[in-house]
Amino acid sequence: MESVHDFIKKVKNGEIDIVEHTYKLIEECKEINKEYNYLNTISEELALNSASEIKIQVKQNKNIKNKKLLGVAVSAKDAICVRDVETTAGSKILQSYRPLFDAFVIQRVKEEGAIIIGKTSQDEFGFGGFSVNVGKGFKIPKNPFDSERSCGGSSGGAAGLTQKLSSHIALGESTGGSIVEPASFCGVYGLCPTYGRVSRYGLIDFSNSMDKIGSMGKTIEDAALLMNVISGYDKKDSTSLNIKNDDYEKYLKKSVKGMKIGIIKEAFGAGVDREAENNVCPGIEELEEEGAKAEEISLELPIKYGIATYYMIAASEASTNLAKFCGMRYGAVEKLEGSFNEYFTKVRSNNFGDEAKRRIMLGTFARMAGYRDAFYLKAMKVRTLMINEYKKAFKKFDALISPTASILPPKFEDIEKLTPLQHYMIDIMTVSPNVAGLPHLNVPVGFEKNLPIGMLLIADHLQEGKLIQLGSAIEKGK
Amino acid sequence: MKRFTSDIVIGLEIHAELDTKTKLFCSCPTKGNEEPNSRTCVTCLGMPGSKPVLNKKAVEFALKLCLALNCEVSPELVFSRKSYFYPDMAKNYQISQYEMPLGKNGSLRLRDSKEIDITRVHMEEDPASLVHPAGLKESAYVLVDYNRSGNQLVEIVTEPDLASPDEARDFMKQLITVLNYLEIFDINEGIIKADANVSIRESDYARVEIKNITGFKEIERALMYEVSRQQDEIRHHKKIEQETRAWDSEKGVTFTLRKKETEEDYGYIIDTDLTAVEITGKLVREIKNEMPELAQDKVRKFVEKHRIKKEDAEIIAAEKELAEMFEKVAEEINPILAAKWLRRELVRVLNYNKKELHEVKIDEKHMIDLLKLVENKKITDNVASKILEKLIEKPFDIKEYVKKERLEAVSDVSELEKYCREAIEENPKAVEDYKKGEKKALNFIVGSVMKKTRGKATPKEVNEIILRLIK
Repeated sequence: MESVHDFIKKVKNGEIDIVEHTYKLIEECKEINKEYNYLNTISEELALNSASEIKIQVKQNKNIKNKKLLGVAVSAKDAICVRDVETTAGSKILQSYRPLFDAFVIQRVKEEGAIIIGKTSQDEFGFGGFSVNVGKGFKIPKNPFDSERSCGGSSGGAAGLTQKLSSHIALGESTGGSIVEPASFCGVYGLCPTYGRVSRYGLIDFSNSMDKIGSMGKTIEDAALLMNVISGYDKKDSTSLNIKNDDYEKYLKKSVKGMKIGIIKEAFGAGVDREAENNVCPGIEELEEEGAKAEEISLELPIKYGIATYYMIAASEASTNLAKFCGMRYGAVEKLEGSFNEYFTKVRSNNFGDEAKRRIMLGTFARMAGYRDAFYLKAMKVRTLMINEYKKAFKKFDALISPTASILPPKFEDIEKLTPLQHYMIDIMTVSPNVAGLPHLNVPVGFEKNLPIGMLLIADHLQEGKLIQLGSAIEKGK
Repeated sequence: MKRFTSDIVIGLEIHAELDTKTKLFCSCPTKGNEEPNSRTCVTCLGMPGSKPVLNKKAVEFALKLCLALNCEVSPELVFSRKSYFYPDMAKNYQISQYEMPLGKNGSLRLRDSKEIDITRVHMEEDPASLVHPAGLKESAYVLVDYNRSGNQLVEIVTEPDLASPDEARDFMKQLITVLNYLEIFDINEGIIKADANVSIRESDYARVEIKNITGFKEIERALMYEVSRQQDEIRHHKKIEQETRAWDSEKGVTFTLRKKETEEDYGYIIDTDLTAVEITGKLVREIKNEMPELAQDKVRKFVEKHRIKKEDAEIIAAEKELAEMFEKVAEEINPILAAKWLRRELVRVLNYNKKELHEVKIDEKHMIDLLKLVENKKITDNVASKILEKLIEKPFDIKEYVKKERLEAVSDVSELEKYCREAIEENPKAVEDYKKGEKKALNFIVGSVMKKTRGKATPKEVNEIILRLIK
């Protein structure tokens, strides 16, 4: 497979006609979309305009020398605002909404010469793990290996497109596992950074204290490259960390000798598919062969209380974030009649999907007077305890390992049988590092029944480099 | 809960708009273009994906207020989301403070030294303004102007310590004075509003809330109306219900907005788009050092150092510009004379012209020049007042003006006697009336002399001379 670096070289020296290449890529997207529904919007005009500009720049040999993503196709999860391109976060309530501004990450990739090819499909506002909770009127994306199965979620379209499209890197977003879980189901790398590492400016909020934009690629190299471009301080996001940038690419192919790996005991037990479990083991062996030391560790609190804590905080925050969608200034509108209350109710009733409504109700309940102490505030406290437990583990280990998903990509017909609670429980591996704001990575480690299996690597805050180092060692061994 | 003892119990929640150049969470200007929705951005419009960024100046302003109101300052500044749906809300939640207000347990003294406890002082953003094209109740639709959306407000909540509408008015007045002294409030254009809780003994203190009263004059009117309404109800054997009412300033009445069974539930959660800001001891010290002397400090100083009457000191100190002028004038002029002229004549002339001190071009130099002449009896009070009236219109060199217009006081007794004789001769009837016992008739003769001298004589002196002459 051609690396992005080689591709960019060819764009720079004119070996690849970037307009022609982009045109073909768009056609390929359209073709893929017919069966798999990975893109809510294909930003054809924007992409071809950018390509034409790059072509001129290449001809004149102007401003191209240091561009890290020159001509590289990048897709954005639909919750990420792209100026003038329909941005819906997968919800009917935002249909036809064209943002006035680019998200920080879009600005960054554009500056580096990337070509935005479209907005990838997702669970409405990120509310789900299978991309089946798409908004009203949206199509459900399918697994690239078996179209009767889920591609995971909520960044499902991003993961599927990364697997299917010949050359492309994806911007995903994770609140509770929405980068690594679909990456695992689609057999690609998904890197979710430390909370605050990448600006959320221009990301349509799900849960402000947990939302993180990350990168997804066919190779660890692609994921690291994109992370290099999008990470860094942004004064427009108050939660953005004002610290020195790390160079993630320098960790690629760096020896893992002497690194300590903690295997989360609770993640390899009851409730976890043997198939998912077994296939992670070769990955661990790979690391050990490369000189890393693996040891078991018990992390009871995150596994036991992760889901409950996550859903309390996420739903509470989401229910306030979704209040702004009322048909007044953007998105869906209804016939203007009755009082403002009646109008808002009509807009929200007709345009939110079921899961969005469920989370609004759940979240509103959890922060009501009389309940907020028991639910919302208690969850905030448990979150601190969870962070402490992780911190303790990272005194000893460079990274923690578990399967990314507790099951193989399920069939749509089986998902339908799940109760909402069972549905929520699927996230058990991924929610806790998200609640704690820890960086984590999905590494594809093999196949079972022709379906991909992923290994989850979790590192301490700001230690994305270690994840890339380890991920790259496993990739090399394959 | 406090046990109430007074006949009337009032607590206030006051919202004041602080005078920062930019809004609380974005860099849109707070003033300027009045064209609706011209001073907006994605943040104050609540567009999806936008994020708030705290205005540091706003924190300094709010901290100054907390310190001036003797509050305990929170070690951390944390914002919460107050959720409710309303068309003036850009996000259908307001970024406010809940668990940890910036300041708590403060106090402010009224004119009569009564101390009013302040429960909390917190920061929050202003919603947009709603325009009802055909009046509040009649309009079929409203227009929303987001120019105000995101402006910085502070909310000041008092304990129910106020025992009369007059005290409530005075509290507002004292608060505005503090805001003005701190230079964090635009005294001309800044908005200050209050919600008031009011109850009376006769109803066993059933609490009625009155929303949205603008300014300190209105608060007294609204509360006076509401107290007598409640007393009337009791007199007619009706029960006072716990409810929320609104104040109609035009009609001068309060009316029922809603009868509420329970407190509204705003579902507060922390706004994690904003990180907690540590309020360090260092920051607090820096702000303290920057703080100007406040009105009540000035009153004390004026009384102790300048030995002027407390009443005069209070009137002068109530206006920052006047107080600052007094301090400078009192260095050169007898403070008692200075106080008298500043609080009486200057205020009178300003009021007559409907002007504020900062709007006219009179400065302390003018007052010193003028009062030096008065102090040295070079001009009479009467002439000085006239000069002051002219000064309001346009400043000029007072000494030259007095010379040019020959306004020096007539102090030569023989010259004065001449004028008095003339006046007596010209007004025989007045002299006769006076002799018959009509004391007022004397004023007529004095007035006649004053006219002849164009006010350059002192009435007291003229009075004495006339009396001597007609005896």
